[in-house]
Amino acid sequence: MKNTLIILIFSVVVLSCTKNSTSETDSFLTGNGVFILNEGNFKWGNGSLSFFSYDSAKIYNELFLDVNGRPLGDVPNSMIINDYLAYIVVNNSGKIEVINRNTLESVATITGLISPRNMAVISSSKAYVTSMYSDSVAIINLVDYTITGYINLRRSSETIRVSDSKAFISEWVGGNEVMVVNTIDNKVVDSIKVGAEPESMVIDENKNLWVLCNGGWARNNYAELYAINTITNMVEKKLVFQDKTASPTCLQIDGKGETLYYLEKGIHKMNINSGVLPALPLIPESQHYFYKFGINPLNGDIFITDAVDYQQKGYVMFYKNDGTLISIYTAGVIPGMICFKLNGSYIEK
Amino acid sequence: MRYNLLYITFLFTITAVNGQTSFQDDTIKINEVLITVKTINLDLPGYKKATIDSSVLNNYSHGTLADLLSENSGIFIKSYGPGGTATPSFRGTGAGHTQIAWNGININHPMLGQSDLSILPAGLIDDIQIFYGGASMAINSGGIGGIINLESKPAWNTETRISLNPGIGSFGRYTGLLTVKSGNNNFQTITKAFFQSAENDFRYLNDEISATPVWETRKNSQITQKGFIQELYYRRSKNVASARIWYQSADRHIASSMLSQQTGAGETQSDESLRVLLNYDINRDRNTYSLIGAWLFNRLDYSNPLASIESKNNSDFVTLKASMERRISQYTRFKILINEELNAVKSNNYEQTSLRNTTSLTASAEHSTSERFGISVLVREILDKNKFLLPDFSAGLQLQLIDSKDYYLKANISRNSKIPSMNDMFWLPGGNPDLKNEYAFIYELTYEMIHKTLTHLTFSYDLSVFRNSIKDMIQWRPGQYSVWSADNIQNVNTTGIESSLSVGYKLNNLTTDLKAGYSFTKAVEETTDESTNQTRGNQLMYIPENQLNISLRFGYGNFHTTFLSDFTGKRYITVDNSKYLPGYSISSVSTGIVFKLKQTLFDLNFDIDNLFGVNYQTIAYYPMPGRAYELKLLIQIVK
Repeated sequence: MKNTLIILIFSVVVLSCTKNSTSETDSFLTGNGVFILNEGNFKWGNGSLSFFSYDSAKIYNELFLDVNGRPLGDVPNSMIINDYLAYIVVNNSGKIEVINRNTLESVATITGLISPRNMAVISSSKAYVTSMYSDSVAIINLVDYTITGYINLRRSSETIRVSDSKAFISEWVGGNEVMVVNTIDNKVVDSIKVGAEPESMVIDENKNLWVLCNGGWARNNYAELYAINTITNMVEKKLVFQDKTASPTCLQIDGKGETLYYLEKGIHKMNINSGVLPALPLIPESQHYFYKFGINPLNGDIFITDAVDYQQKGYVMFYKNDGTLISIYTAGVIPGMICFKLNGSYIEK
Repeated sequence: MRYNLLYITFLFTITAVNGQTSFQDDTIKINEVLITVKTINLDLPGYKKATIDSSVLNNYSHGTLADLLSENSGIFIKSYGPGGTATPSFRGTGAGHTQIAWNGININHPMLGQSDLSILPAGLIDDIQIFYGGASMAINSGGIGGIINLESKPAWNTETRISLNPGIGSFGRYTGLLTVKSGNNNFQTITKAFFQSAENDFRYLNDEISATPVWETRKNSQITQKGFIQELYYRRSKNVASARIWYQSADRHIASSMLSQQTGAGETQSDESLRVLLNYDINRDRNTYSLIGAWLFNRLDYSNPLASIESKNNSDFVTLKASMERRISQYTRFKILINEELNAVKSNNYEQTSLRNTTSLTASAEHSTSERFGISVLVREILDKNKFLLPDFSAGLQLQLIDSKDYYLKANISRNSKIPSMNDMFWLPGGNPDLKNEYAFIYELTYEMIHKTLTHLTFSYDLSVFRNSIKDMIQWRPGQYSVWSADNIQNVNTTGIESSLSVGYKLNNLTTDLKAGYSFTKAVEETTDESTNQTRGNQLMYIPENQLNISLRFGYGNFHTTFLSDFTGKRYITVDNSKYLPGYSISSVSTGIVFKLKQTLFDLNFDIDNLFGVNYQTIAYYPMPGRAYELKLLIQIVK
């Protein structure tokens, strides 16, 4: 009896220690899904990584911690997938975590960055990283994961989009410009004046750069949406939000590059050829606190995050492209950026 | 998002002196003449008050109030570690619900509405009284958790006493305290000067940034602090006049969390405060009159060159207090108090210089029908921003259980209002000038006993049960345009048990003193807001349910030694209680020898703090130092 008890206790201990093993993680991470980057609270160090699996229609939280045995960091702000790797830019930890996109195991940590915000892969060996609190964009070597240099913009930088050999970089905090950098020689070649506080940008099917200018928190300026020709760097269209209190954020575009989406007391949708801003939202905010969202590039699914009260765990809401709510899942604290992990052939389950 | 970050950065970077060590200081016994300057002695029947023993206070002559309270009281100190802020949580309430007073004057920073205990040097203080819950209302309003009153007071004698007390410790720590006391039976002057400099470059194990834990050296947490208190007292007949000035400054670097791997943050903070207090007490046959005028100036500059933040904040606080106490009969007293407070803040984070005027009128009465039964009542009306608040009140009842024996039962009920801090109302962006005051209903039941079993043995024990029901609590939440703003949205209930035990034994040259304190605190949010369904009923973050302090002091002849151990239970770090920091137990030992050479007395002390080198954090990802050593010498000349 005594031996049986010992074996039983031993078995329980061993089984307890094997939870969240790589094999279990593999089972859902190899499929299609959505990464949700939970920012956590500034200076609290409670940022985390969640994954919604299309295969199981479940959400898995705290994945970085489970796989790597250490916290993700303080305010993970953005994430991109490039080839078999994923890069997570952790703003207030001043680092980028490089992980395997299928196992989430750490490959490298790029440190020494100053308040990094967003990253864009320029080539197989080069990436740019924007910075809120420095006046330069860092150049990263993607082979040995080191900082090889800086592009001095003389201003802070936020969103970055690449078209051909040009990188368009917005100056968000207190700014009103989009800087143009030649990605071959890493030189600033132009600057484009836009509205106050260009917060987010996307590139459409016509290679036009859409810039959403938030207008700033003090509401001294109207929010504006610009379309810029990436060949000529000229403004081709400017749409002004008629209500000065409108504070749109998080500009997104569908996979075809035809339809724009943004957040302004709900999710708004407009065709790139439209001459007016949509009056009514596709998905009203109602009792939620919409924080960020993403559009599935293959089937147009909409994933919206709800930060609730910025302290408790937030939600991820899964909508079909027509605005039909499918389900709501609990993510981490302040769920922010949505990053799709799709294996190419995925259309709809 | 970034704006609320700026606010939070500001709010949480009121950094601090490090007091890693506790000191065994002078335990020189000097017979003092009875003090007749008016101190805070409103021991209304039915309330709980504790005094930090002078022998304990002496141990911390180079330490901070944060060290002293965390090791010797049930008040939880939330510390960002050496060089970081340390704020109190009293009976499960927030830092703004604990008021720090200096001779009865509120010295909480008017902008933040709270005090950073890590920059309050314990060595400058003569006496500390802790007024729990409703007991605090006899001093000021707003101390929902309680009020910690710091006293500066004279000893009326003809001695001149000069003390020099330098110290050196681990992690580049140098300290010094100079005290000069002189005067006669009518006039006293006391000067105290304090200096501290610490590198705080301790080693800690960082297991948060890589799969393999690495030893790191704490960076950017240096601090330099200096200050002095000058006190002048004059008494004639039964009247006492006093003037006190307290100046102090602290220049600090602010260390980042263990998770930060970015370079050159370079955050610094500079604090400066000047406190001037004038007091005149008139004692007549049946009446006592007291007039107090105080001016407090605070400068707080925060700099983050990387983020281009230069936050400059100046505040002035003027208060006038006039009180009259009348002894109607041997068992009945009546007191009336008028309190006028003016706050003025000039900050580049406010739209303009912001003013706030608050006046209050308090009436209290105390009556004992016999030696064994006492009752007290207090009523307060506050006029804030030209609006009358709902009146506050407090009522206490005290019963001596056995005639001529020190066994007491105390009970009280109170309603206490706290007006919002200046930042809550005027910080840009997010400050809300329309905020209502917070208020709380406080209930408390206490049993106290003191028993002398033998001539040389003293035993005392107390047990309290309390409940605070805090309404309209102010919280910062995200609002329009992602800007956080302050609002009255939270209701919190805190309940708990406090118990302390003291055993003293004195025989010939041997002195033994054992003190133990335990507190259990349950603090939960009670709200009807559907959006907070993950938090309802959960323990609030960073409030330990269990705390235990034990101290054991021995003195034999010229030798003395103290062993301290305190346990802090787990603290949740998420609102849904899914994660927590584990509990920890920290011990320290201090030993010293006193000897005399001619007219000069020497007291040499050696301290070891965190004796067992425990690796712990009181705030997630902010490391605390391991074992630390300190050597200190007191040189005292008495003429």
